[in-house]
Amino acid sequence: MLVWSRPGRIVLWLVFALLFSVLFLAPLAVILLSSLADQWNGVLPSGLTTEHYSDVVQGAAWKAVKASLVTGFLAGAVALVSGTWAALALRIQDATLARVLGVLFFIPSAVPSVSVGLGLLVAFSHPPLLLNGTIAIVMAAHFVLISAFTFGNVSAGLARLSPDFEQVASSLGARPAYRLRHVTLPLLAPYLVAAFGLSFALSMGELGATVMVYPPGWVTLPVSIFSLTDRGDVFAGAALTMVLVAVTLILLLGLERVTGRQARS
Amino acid sequence: MADAAVLPAPIAKKVPGRFWIVPPAALLALLFFYPLVLIVQQAFMDDSGMANVGEFVRVLHARFFLNALINTITISVAATAGCLIVGLVLGLILAFVPFPGSGVIARLIDTFIALPTFLVTLAFTFLYGSAGMLNAGLMEAFSLQAPPVNFLYSTWGVVLAEVTVYSPFVLRPLLAAFSLVDRGQIEAASVLGARPFRIVRQVILPAAVPALIAGGSLCLLLTVNEFGIVLFIGAKGVITLPLLIYSKAIQESAYQVACIIAVINIALSLGLFGLYRFAAGRLGA
Amino acid sequence: MSVPAFTGSNVMDVDAAKIRGAGSNVHFDKVSVAYGAHVVLHPLTLDIAPGEILAMIGPSGSGKTTALRAVAGFVRPASGRIRIGATDVTDLPPYERGLGMVVQNYALFPHMRVEDNVAFGLRAQGADKALIGERVKDSLATVGMSGFAKRYPRELSGGQQQRVAIARALAVRPRVLLLDEPLSALDAQIRRNMVEEIAKLHRDLPGLTILYVTHDQTEALTLADKIAIMRDGRVSSHGPTAELYRRPPNRFTAEFLGRANLLPVTVTEGATGPKGFAKAKLGDALLAGAARGEKPGDKTLLCIRPQHLSLTGDEEHTNRIVGTLKEVHWQGELTHLVLDVDGTPVRVSATRLPVSLPERGSVVPLFFAPGDTSLVPEDARG
Repeated sequence: MLVWSRPGRIVLWLVFALLFSVLFLAPLAVILLSSLADQWNGVLPSGLTTEHYSDVVQGAAWKAVKASLVTGFLAGAVALVSGTWAALALRIQDATLARVLGVLFFIPSAVPSVSVGLGLLVAFSHPPLLLNGTIAIVMAAHFVLISAFTFGNVSAGLARLSPDFEQVASSLGARPAYRLRHVTLPLLAPYLVAAFGLSFALSMGELGATVMVYPPGWVTLPVSIFSLTDRGDVFAGAALTMVLVAVTLILLLGLERVTGRQARS
Repeated sequence: MADAAVLPAPIAKKVPGRFWIVPPAALLALLFFYPLVLIVQQAFMDDSGMANVGEFVRVLHARFFLNALINTITISVAATAGCLIVGLVLGLILAFVPFPGSGVIARLIDTFIALPTFLVTLAFTFLYGSAGMLNAGLMEAFSLQAPPVNFLYSTWGVVLAEVTVYSPFVLRPLLAAFSLVDRGQIEAASVLGARPFRIVRQVILPAAVPALIAGGSLCLLLTVNEFGIVLFIGAKGVITLPLLIYSKAIQESAYQVACIIAVINIALSLGLFGLYRFAAGRLGA
Repeated sequence: MSVPAFTGSNVMDVDAAKIRGAGSNVHFDKVSVAYGAHVVLHPLTLDIAPGEILAMIGPSGSGKTTALRAVAGFVRPASGRIRIGATDVTDLPPYERGLGMVVQNYALFPHMRVEDNVAFGLRAQGADKALIGERVKDSLATVGMSGFAKRYPRELSGGQQQRVAIARALAVRPRVLLLDEPLSALDAQIRRNMVEEIAKLHRDLPGLTILYVTHDQTEALTLADKIAIMRDGRVSSHGPTAELYRRPPNRFTAEFLGRANLLPVTVTEGATGPKGFAKAKLGDALLAGAARGEKPGDKTLLCIRPQHLSLTGDEEHTNRIVGTLKEVHWQGELTHLVLDVDGTPVRVSATRLPVSLPERGSVVPLFFAPGDTSLVPEDARG
């Protein structure tokens, strides 16, 4: 509607296609291609193979996938509970305190992930709270980094919820706990699912804090991709990256379908 | 009714619920704010536990720190500028010169937000690395001995990777702002003979300024904090603050130096966070 | 969109007496509400009798919704007490007040079927399963929605959703039913039907006390036993509906409730005669009007409704004024005329007109009966 002439539009579309392919399409395509590359010395690989996939599946990859999935689910679940709890509890504080606390709950998203990892190392390397060297410190790092996103998503959902629903429920005799269980949480469900999906995806790709704190034996996907490429095994790294992308996208799409069905029903 | 909707209603009973905030706040305080305080404490204390700013001042003047600071700021500003330009161009075309499938493309770009940042760096090594497709092609075509394209291992490689990763963060609020622009206004301006550039400048851009500021300040924040891209490129000359924290703490076990750099990095990030909140607040987000 | 009658054939199945709860009175005792320094409700003292429909009407920001929300328990009064029946509910949370509430946007729970929406209040109060089933059936029948129990709210039209919202409120046998602009989200046509159906509902449930907040005077006039007109956080006037319409106690009430022509007059003679008419002068015309204790020399307003003005006089329409015809709007059933009488625009709604309509600009006499008028004091301000 902005550009009426056909040649003008075609030129703009070509610009778009160029930017899109250089910035977004080429990276994904080339990762996919390299994960299947036999040998790659020229412009294109000399042949295709699924060897890297079978290698990573037989090697440490399964452990990495498992570590990432478990970390993502646990940290995501704790962040979901605590974020939802915080967002709900903030509503009954007085306005000034709620505003201050709201900012505090957002701050972890602003601090560099490496510093979050460093802080956990500094704080929890001595008794009584010795977490360094355990899986718990990885969970803690992921929880801190995603907590702001779940809090933000749930708060946004609550802000969009018409107060009428809860007020009508109260006037009909529903006590706060019953109202929360049967009205507020069901109405928030799409936001809760979206919050969980986002935090899970963030956790799956988290590198900065994990690389600071991870104990031997709990190597997440990003960390093992880094050590593979750092060793020069870029093809295996690419294959593992594709695994990471696939797991993340399958989970996000699955959650989206759940939300979609909820929104429709 | 207006009188009920505009004013925040006083809640009938405020007191019983006040302490519900304690559990999540305590969890975050233990796992985030307490470690943060310890970082600050370590930065300003020597081994004997006495307050001492000597080490802090020394790091502040050290070559390695100043280089990292300058790198961080250069990369962040350049990448943010790139994100704004790319985001604006993509956004304008997606919103105002749509093509079949542009909605799907917009969603595809949006999913990049969920993907790990180092993916792009890894891809770039295959594309633009010394043994990558581009160099291999050029060397074959012109019978060169050495790879002619080397930008990947410089600041600009990091900048390009960050533009790819973070321009969706500009595109997202921008598309939301564009969707609110009155299409009738654009058509009316076209009918009156205004050229597309004039319409963009006078009608569309003013509406997009808040989104650009919010998206831009978010990009500044995220690029200052970016770690994975810089780590994966692994260029000797490109050290940023987060990478310096990592190498001091993990590779050199120099925790106090790491904490000092972390304090400065966190202060920078929180300043940018404040800017973002201010901009997003103005936007009404 | 066809709207089934509230109480169609299936109303016969319902034993209305079962729903006919003993309504309670609602008493506002000097209730005020403030947000910080901003007072939205000045001390309000008002009583709603058991089984009465009180309509609170007024413009936006007049405090009517705040008053309703104070009864519901969502707004805490800065001072004063609210009693429902014998209970002082001022300090009770909303869920212990035993009310039913219907709001403008229905607020049906979108994740529950119609029957679960209606059952909500009873389940929340832990009622017996058999009782819940019976009450849901009765309540849905009362509003003519028995066939929709298994539907989800989004599968219903706006009018149907509002019926379900009313059924949901009735199912808990509320002591008081609070209706907060219940019809303002509906189309004009459906709104008219719903007003009649709420009136019918109240005839079936005469014990139910209803506080009905609206900005629509037609709804209030049709439904209410009594009306309270709110303005700037205060009750401007309060009284039985017909009384308030016929004898508005002030200019704001006269203009807010229905349409009114208010002619500035000077009283020449206080109330006399068996009907208690006063005499007052408008320019040269000497008029008779229903008095309110005015004394000769008082400057006041003479209120006459547009439909009570006629272009022809007879033995009843004895008052006569003269005006210049400015505008004529024909609207089918009614014709609206606007005349200029001594600088005051006067509206006439006529169902019958003389065969030859006077031309615009011509001087026309208007007639009206003293019994249709009332003398109204000018408001202190505005």
